[in-house]
Amino acid sequence: MEIIIEEISRGHKLIGRHKFLKDSVAIGRGYHNDIIVSDPHVCADHLNINFNGEYWTVSDANTINGSFIEDSKDLLNEHRVESGDIITLGKSQIRILFPNHPVEESVTFSPFENLIDIARNPATIVFSVLLFAISTGYLFYLNNPKDVTFTQLFVPAIKMTLIFGLWPAGIALVSLLTKHDTRFLSQLGICFVFFNLMWVNDILERFVQFNVSSQWPFVWLIALIPIALSFCMFWFNCIIGFHTTKKRRIAICIGLTALLFGGSALIKISKKPEFNPYPRYNATLMTPDFHVTSSSSVEEFVKDSDKLFKKVSKKAKED
Amino acid sequence: MKGIITLLLFTVSMIAQATEQAEEIFKQLAPSLYQIRLIDKTSGEKSSIGSGFQITDDGLIGTNYHVISGYARHPSKYRMEYLDNLGNKGQLELKSVDVINDLALVKRETTQPMPFFAISDSVPAKGEELFSLGNPHDLGMIVVPGTYNGLKKESFNDRIHFTGSVNSGMSGGPVVNAKTEVVGINVATSGNQIGFLVPHEKLVALFNNYKIKPPENIEAQMLEQLVENQNKLISTILNSEWQLKQLGQGLIPTVDVPYIRCWGDSNADKTDALILTAVANCTLEEDTFVSSNFFTGAIEMDYRYMQGKDLSDTKFYTLYEQQIKRAGPGNKATKDDVTEFQCQHDIVTPSHQNIKNKAIFCTRAYKDFAGLYDVLYIAGSIDQNNRALVSHFTIAGVQQDTAMAFTKKFMESVTWK
Repeated sequence: MEIIIEEISRGHKLIGRHKFLKDSVAIGRGYHNDIIVSDPHVCADHLNINFNGEYWTVSDANTINGSFIEDSKDLLNEHRVESGDIITLGKSQIRILFPNHPVEESVTFSPFENLIDIARNPATIVFSVLLFAISTGYLFYLNNPKDVTFTQLFVPAIKMTLIFGLWPAGIALVSLLTKHDTRFLSQLGICFVFFNLMWVNDILERFVQFNVSSQWPFVWLIALIPIALSFCMFWFNCIIGFHTTKKRRIAICIGLTALLFGGSALIKISKKPEFNPYPRYNATLMTPDFHVTSSSSVEEFVKDSDKLFKKVSKKAKED
Repeated sequence: MKGIITLLLFTVSMIAQATEQAEEIFKQLAPSLYQIRLIDKTSGEKSSIGSGFQITDDGLIGTNYHVISGYARHPSKYRMEYLDNLGNKGQLELKSVDVINDLALVKRETTQPMPFFAISDSVPAKGEELFSLGNPHDLGMIVVPGTYNGLKKESFNDRIHFTGSVNSGMSGGPVVNAKTEVVGINVATSGNQIGFLVPHEKLVALFNNYKIKPPENIEAQMLEQLVENQNKLISTILNSEWQLKQLGQGLIPTVDVPYIRCWGDSNADKTDALILTAVANCTLEEDTFVSSNFFTGAIEMDYRYMQGKDLSDTKFYTLYEQQIKRAGPGNKATKDDVTEFQCQHDIVTPSHQNIKNKAIFCTRAYKDFAGLYDVLYIAGSIDQNNRALVSHFTIAGVQQDTAMAFTKKFMESVTWK
């Protein structure tokens, strides 16, 4: 009879797979076995799997450390094997499968594979990394109150780009360590596409904050965009780097996003002084061309302030 | 030579005469002069000292508000004590304050009528010799002779300019003329030989009000005084002429009153600066002491003109934004005194003016003085590509209506040339 035996790690990751076309399979540390296990806790003759014409049985060969069905405590003796059973011998594990063992349904190509292919195209990668570096350099230029030379901008731009490049590199490394495809270029391409989208979002955010008054009730919507962008980036990272179920992928992405934004919010809160004597306000300024909304009159501005007075008076009474 | 000797002899005798006179004054008035001390109840040690002087035969004593401010703000934390010239101590009771003029009336127990200081009914003549009495540095009572120099011109609330060494511990001590009548109360010093006194009329007014109706609640009395003073100040400013002055290409309002003084500066000498900046700053050069970490009554107006030299508009606006990002309040206050600021921002174009501003307005409320606020306004023009005009003011301890009337007038005054 045909039987498949998989050597698996403690985390049930596949180490090796063997297919036999005979009625008896011997497992142990000795070199005469069909499967040779190098675990020192396994005996030279450890486990026998036999087909008795009707079904497969498994027997422990009176070993020092014994053999068990996964976590049970019962020593195996003429135990009838079911397809998919995991047997612990020493500190190693094997899984026994029959040829008719059902397999999971084939996974369709993610509709985003096309997108990922575009992002991993060397031309796209060069373009997005360059765009990111140039944006970073430009920002340094804008915020520097003195005249700056090209070299002075070049160094921080490269430094920043390398720092941001650490994330895709890290993900690729984790993929490698968890025995998945590394796909570093795909990760790099996708990450920098998203980093550039973050720049675009920054400009958008400034544009909105510059144009709308503090009376506008939907300002918080703008704050959601970077959260959504990060979630999407993590989602792509998962798709590229790991084969997981949809549920698990979403859970991982939510976790990472929460860690990123929740963590930075926590740091902010922990640094917040008990009493801030300075006002916090939004002073975003853009060049005149970016002003597209109509402006208020002095009377409207003064009238709006009524809300502020009410708010602080209420606070003063509460304390 | 003979002339010089005569002159020297004359001077020496003048000094001797002055000292003699001072000694005489001190001896005569010493029993009515006190050291006022606040004792921290928990530690039992004194936390601040000042001077005071008796003004009635039944034990009413005049001093500075700031000497006893700790007690006025936290009566449960401190007790007030006097120490007389013989070293006797006794409890004091707070009766009335004038927080604007930094005066307070406290009272000691008396068993029989006591000697007290007479208060002058006339203003000294310029150059008249006065004697400041007090207790600097806990060294015991001393007399400092000095000269009356008239009222300080730049102050909204009158202060006498006194040439003489008024030290911090002399606060609350009386200043008397040669007839030993009180003409002022020591209040502050401004370095070498320049002292400031509260004119005696303010004490008379406080005393008369006290005689008519003693205040029931010191906090309510302070609130009333703060409101009245700030209303008087802001309405005077609003009714004064606002002159438009040129700052770069901008026009900025300055108020034509002597107690608001303006200073200016620019970086025109720095040839490598990317942005030419000119600043003008106008402030009320006095504020009201409420407690050692809480001042109010301040007003400042601040203007900044900026013009980019060979740089892109985007860079100009990025650097310009940094200039308006961090405006702060003009007065000191703590968590116990005020709430945190709440702010609003909008783009505002005043009618009749050719300027478009990003305007930011913030306010915080006083916790113990309901109805008073600190306000802060800062605006930057957003209608010129490489020029900008920043206008900014802060007012401390003001009511909403007054604050907004000022804000409206201010916003409508700033413009381009």
